[in-house]
Formats: sequence, C-alpha cells, structure tokens
Amino acid sequence: MTRPPISALLAQRKVICCVGSGGVGKTTTSAALALRFAVEGKKTLVLTIDPARRLANSLGLSALGNRETRIGDELFRAAGLKPHGEMYAMMLDLKLTWDELVDRQAPSPEKARQIKENRLYQTLSTVMAGSLEYMAMEKVYELWRTGRFDVVVLDTPPTANALDFLHAADRIVDVLDNDALRMLLGPLLKASRVGLRLFALPTGIILKTLGRFTGQDFLRDLAQFLVAFEGMYEGFKERAGEVKHMLSSRDAAFVLVTSPNPLTIEEALFFHRALASDGVQTAAVVVNRVQRDPHRFGGPDSVPALREALQLAQIKDGGDPLLSQRLARTLAEQSTLADLDRREVERLERMLSGVPLYKVPRLRKDVHDLAGLWQIDQCLSAMQE
Amino acid sequence: MAKEALDVTPPALLDRRLLVVTGKGGTGKSTVSAALALAASRKRKRVLICEVTARERVSELFGRPPSGPQIHKLFEDVYSVHVRPPEAMREYGIMVLRSETLYNLVFERRWVRYFLNAAPSLAEIVMLGKVAWHAGREMEHGRPRWDLVVLDAPATGHGLTFLSVPEVFLSIVKEGPLARDMKFMDSMLKDPQQARTCIVTLPEEMPANEAIEMHRALAQRGFPQGVLFLNGVFTPRFAPEERVQVARGGPLLAAAADAADSHEARADLSRHYTSVLRSEVKLPLVSVPYVFERTFGIRAIEQIASAIEAAL
Ligand SMILES: Nc1ncnc2c1ncn2[C@@H]1O[C@H](COP(=O)(O)OP(=O)(O)OP(=O)(O)O)[C@@H](O)[C@H]1O
Ligand SMILES: Nc1ncnc2c1ncn2[C@@H]1O[C@H](COP(=O)(O)OP(=O)(O)O)[C@@H](O)[C@H]1O
Ligand SMILES: [Mg+2]
Ligand SMILES: [Mg+2]
Repeated sequence: MTRPPISALLAQRKVICCVGSGGVGKTTTSAALALRFAVEGKKTLVLTIDPARRLANSLGLSALGNRETRIGDELFRAAGLKPHGEMYAMMLDLKLTWDELVDRQAPSPEKARQIKENRLYQTLSTVMAGSLEYMAMEKVYELWRTGRFDVVVLDTPPTANALDFLHAADRIVDVLDNDALRMLLGPLLKASRVGLRLFALPTGIILKTLGRFTGQDFLRDLAQFLVAFEGMYEGFKERAGEVKHMLSSRDAAFVLVTSPNPLTIEEALFFHRALASDGVQTAAVVVNRVQRDPHRFGGPDSVPALREALQLAQIKDGGDPLLSQRLARTLAEQSTLADLDRREVERLERMLSGVPLYKVPRLRKDVHDLAGLWQIDQCLSAMQE
Repeated sequence: MAKEALDVTPPALLDRRLLVVTGKGGTGKSTVSAALALAASRKRKRVLICEVTARERVSELFGRPPSGPQIHKLFEDVYSVHVRPPEAMREYGIMVLRSETLYNLVFERRWVRYFLNAAPSLAEIVMLGKVAWHAGREMEHGRPRWDLVVLDAPATGHGLTFLSVPEVFLSIVKEGPLARDMKFMDSMLKDPQQARTCIVTLPEEMPANEAIEMHRALAQRGFPQGVLFLNGVFTPRFAPEERVQVARGGPLLAAAADAADSHEARADLSRHYTSVLRSEVKLPLVSVPYVFERTFGIRAIEQIASAIEAAL
C-alpha cells in the first residue's frame, strides 16, 4: 500500500493531536509535523509538554510556560531550511492553564482565590485523574477558536491510562457536580446549605467510617473544595462539550505514535480502540524508531562468507574474536531486531487495516534540533512501500 | 542529605527486606525486578515480587500465567502478587472495620465510590499498605515470611509521587489505621538497613536525565538508594580502523559495515551516558547488557540476573 506524505494526508486539518504511550516519540513527532507545515508555508504552533531538555534548548523554549515562542530564522538556516511559513512553539504549563480556567470561570476574583488556595486544588491532578490531559485540550481549543494559527499540533502528556484524556472532562464535571458527594460531605460544613437533618443519620455513619480511614481533616478539605466550585459546573460542562465537538470535527486529527515494541504496540491498539469507541478516527499511525535491517544492502552474513569477502577486500581478519566472527554476530543481532520490529509493524498494520502507517527508523543520534526533526520529516514524507 | 543514604555496600543489596525498583516508563523496571528476585533466590532467599502497575508483567517474564491478587509461585523460591487498588481497598477496609457487612454497607455505595475516586492517592495508599503488610509479615519463630520483597514500582513520571505517598498522606492525616500503616511504610522505606530504592535507566537522553533527577530527589527526601541500573547497554566491538576498512570494502561488505556502524553508534551512546551517570549519580552503576532474544522471557532474565550477580 502506498501512502501520501503525511503532510498531504493532514493538509486540511487545523488541530493535530499526537497520542501514544510515554517515550515513543510523541514530542518529536509533534515538533516534526509543525516544522513540516511551517516549511511548506503555514503558520504553525506546536504545543509541547515535556520536550527533552536539549530539544527545548535548541528551539529556544524557555522554562516559562504558556508563552508562544517564534522559532527564529537563524535556527532554520542552521538546519539548511528555508521556511515559507512560520513556526511557533509553546511549552504548556498545565497548572497555569488550570489557574487561567478558574480565573475565567469563577463568578468573582474572591471565589477564584478561594479555589486556588485550597490544599486539594494544589494536588488537583491526583484528585481528578486526566485533568492534566484535559487542560491540554482546553488550551488547544482556545487557540483553535482564535484562528491565529493555520495548524496547532498538540503533544500529549505521558499518560498511564490512555483513556484518561478523552474522559477527563466528564470525570471532572462528575466529581465537581456530584450532588451525592456534596450531600455526603455537607454535614462537615458549618455554613452548608445542604439538608443536614435529612441525611444526618446514614451520612453520619458513613462519614465516621470513612474518617477512620482518612481522618476528618481530609474530608473537610474535600467538602470545602467542592463547595468552592459551586456554580462553576455549568461553565465547565459547556466548555467540555465544545472541546469534544472540536475534537470530533473534520478540523481535528489524531496521530497515533508508537514504537515497534510489542508492549507499546499493545497500548497503541488499546488506544486506537478507545478513540474509536468515542467516535474519533485515527488519521495516521507513526511507528517510530524502527530498526533497519542491514540486509537491505545484501551481501554475505556467515562467518566463512564474510571471511572470504574480507580477503577479497584485502582486509585483515584479525582480533579476538576474529573480525569476521564479530561482524557475523553483529549482523545476526541486528537482523533479529529488525525482524522482530518488522513482525510487530505487520501485526499493527493488520490490526489497523485502512489507517495509513508511517515508519520512522531509529536514528543514530537523539533528535534534538531542527535538523534532526527534518530528518524525521523526510521519513514521514517519503513514499513508503 | 543523610550520610547513610549514600553509604552503599553493594554485596549486601540483596540482604535487605525490601528493594524498590523505579525509573522512567519502559526502561526495564519489571525486567530488573524479575532478575533481582532470581539473583536473590540463587542465594537461597525466598522472594516475593509485588507488582503495582495496571498490567501484570513479571509472571509473564517467567513464562507463568498472571498471579493476580493471590500469591503464586513463579520459580524456585520466587513468588509474585499483583496488588490492585480494588482488592487492596476491600481487604484493607474489612481488616480495619473487622466487618464485611459494615464494609459493604459503607464502601459499596455510589457516593462513597465517588469519594474514593476523588481522594488523592487513595489507590496508592492502599497498595503501599498491602506491600508494607507483606514486607513486614513474620512467621512463627520470628522468621520473616519473605526474606526479600521486590516492589516493581510505577514509572516515576514526575518524580517520586508514589514513594512520597506515605509522607504526603501523613502531612494531611495524622490519625487512623491508614496513618499508622503509612508511618510504618515510610519508616521502612527510609531505613537503609531494611530497604533500598534502585533506579533503572537507559543510555538515552531523557531516561538518563530523569534518573539523575530521581536520584537527587530521593536523596533529598531521605530515601536510601541501592544501585543504578543502566539497562540495554551495548559494548564496543570494533576498532575505528576496522570500521573504516569494512566501510571501504565494497558492496559485498555493505551490510556488515552498516551493522557495525549501528552497533558502534549505540555503544557510543552507552559509553556517553555511562560517564554522564557516573559523574552525576553517586551510586554504584550496574550495566545490564542489551539482550537479543526473540522471545523475551526466562532466558533473558537469567542472563540479566547473572550480569547483576557478577556486578554486585
Ligand atoms: N536488557 C534488555 N535487553 C533487551 N530488551 C530489554 C532489556 N530490558 C528490557 N527490555 C525490553 O524493554 C521493554 C520494557 O521492559 P519492562 O517491561 O521491563 O519495562 P518497565 O520499566 O517495567 O515498563 P513499564 O514502565 O511499562 O512498567 C520490554 O519489551 C523488554 O523486553
Ligand atoms: N526516530 C528516532 N531516532 C532516534 N531517536 C529518537 C527518535 N524519535 C525520538 N527519539 C528520541 O527519543 C526520546 C524520546 O522522544 P520524545 O519525542 O520526547 O518521546 P515522548 O514525547 O513520546 O515521550 C528523545 O530523546 C528523542 O530525541
Ligand atoms: Mg513527550
Ligand atoms: Mg513494568
């Protein structure tokens, strides 16, 4: 099956989300896509979460979060590139994005302050699994709505649970807007408007029992936290709906990034199904860091044949073990790796039939600048067989 | 930084009660946990591996079916258990309340489930509580049930969240049975005689940087550390002249030249990160070779266990 260059495949999209398990190359792929579109003439932004330090440094990204940084012409020149468009990068600070959201949605600055000072708000990410992921989507939504960029490429955080970011918004609303929970905790709040009398008996027992586990202080914090959010649920809900709408529109595309490792492939398949069950299609799969088979060059690989080839080339077959033996071993090891990778890629291709799949080889060095990213782009754009 | 936290005597690593294995996702924590357990069992120790991540992995490495929430034997003197939040929560709740009926009455309610989802790190807390219980478990005559417990900890992600759960919990909650257990776990994790935390990393930029950060953070918080495992190491195999010659050897040697170059590129990375890690991490560094096995199972674990034994 032949596939178009990935930039042609995604040409109409305005929001591209790179998803996959940690360490597979999401950040690298996101940056490479933004670069590609910029070189081709678009105004692009890559929203990145945890770039490798050297990549961040070489893009001139400071530690300061939520600030758009234009990638300077000199960086393009240094990589031998001439952009017809512009590329921006932004390191997303998820806590800051939460703060902005609270500031925007809170009915008063006083209320916003209360929320931000709550001890549980400080550990929000643990309170509501997936909220970090949701915040990334929030930011993309905002940028998409302003229309300031032709394409926004989102790099997603390394999530333990692939489903988290799709359902984060629902879960947040669920936790915040849970009457039962607030009723349960109501008796702990002196000024609570919740009907204490009505629920006093059963909730009393439950609270006491829970308190034996967690201590009463924690329950009180939780109650205050939920009350502080009162009245903001509607805003959240509405907004979450809009984000969902954007993600399922033709403007958005999901690119699944994986390594050829069987464990990561499994996670990728899981992710694909999770997206599908939410009505979201995987636009492309990128299998990154595929071992290249040295045999693509042909030539002998057994010890006697290599020894002969060395002789022909007038190279001394020396050392211990002999050079021919070491070469044979190295060839065998690398073909094993290439073979394992090939089988995994084929399996993935079978399982995801119909989704264009792009292979990117394991480069010899880490990817840490525009030149490295461009190398990745070349692989994504080459006609692949 | 406590002096003890840095005072490592590698031969005794396997003589602790608890070894915690942590590191960035996919660096080889489960692999190293399995190999450590195997190495300890070869010293006639009875070992329990506790897995706390969503997907069980170690039993599979030994070619055994998943252990699930019950302890199962994987190998001579090697056992494993998959500690999962729902079961841990239930066991724990019933133990504390001393009544299954009361547990069902309170904890099986929808609202309470919401609460349990919302409570920060409750899942981690009950899992650690369970691990602490295994590690502290005594048999008759005061002999521990397990000579060694290996905890295959979750990926570090952003630092030490998991290991810090007891400390964070104790800063919020001071009373109650959970607090008591977390105190026990916290002091065990911080006792260099009893426990050591080991970091697993790869010869790559991000895993190496994360290992350095993790090492510093652990030291700062007073967690005694064991060794640093550098996993997936390639050793140099060709002299530079050899590579030049083979590269010029014409089409017959093109594949061989390419393979030699890839090999040396990875050996260079291994060498580079070995020296970076040696200078930044004040722990003994144990190199674990890259293992070329078509199916990564007991044979790979045996090779890695031998490499670890040789290094300790
Ligand atoms: N020394 C090695 N040589 C070759 N392959 C290895 C080596 N160690 C680990 N691997 C491979 O690397 C992958 C990840 O290993 P493992 O599952 O142990 O990592 P982990 O840190 O436990 O991952 P997770 O964070 O997902 O729990 C596996 O496919 C394993 O087969
Ligand atoms: N094709 C590749 N060849 C070599 N190194 C790569 C390749 N893709 C990514 N890397 C390196 O792997 C590391 C992890 O990549 P990254 O994009 O940060 O992963 P993720 O965002 O999925 O966690 C980085 O150091 C990057 O330079
Ligand atoms: Mg990343
Ligand atoms: Mg694991």
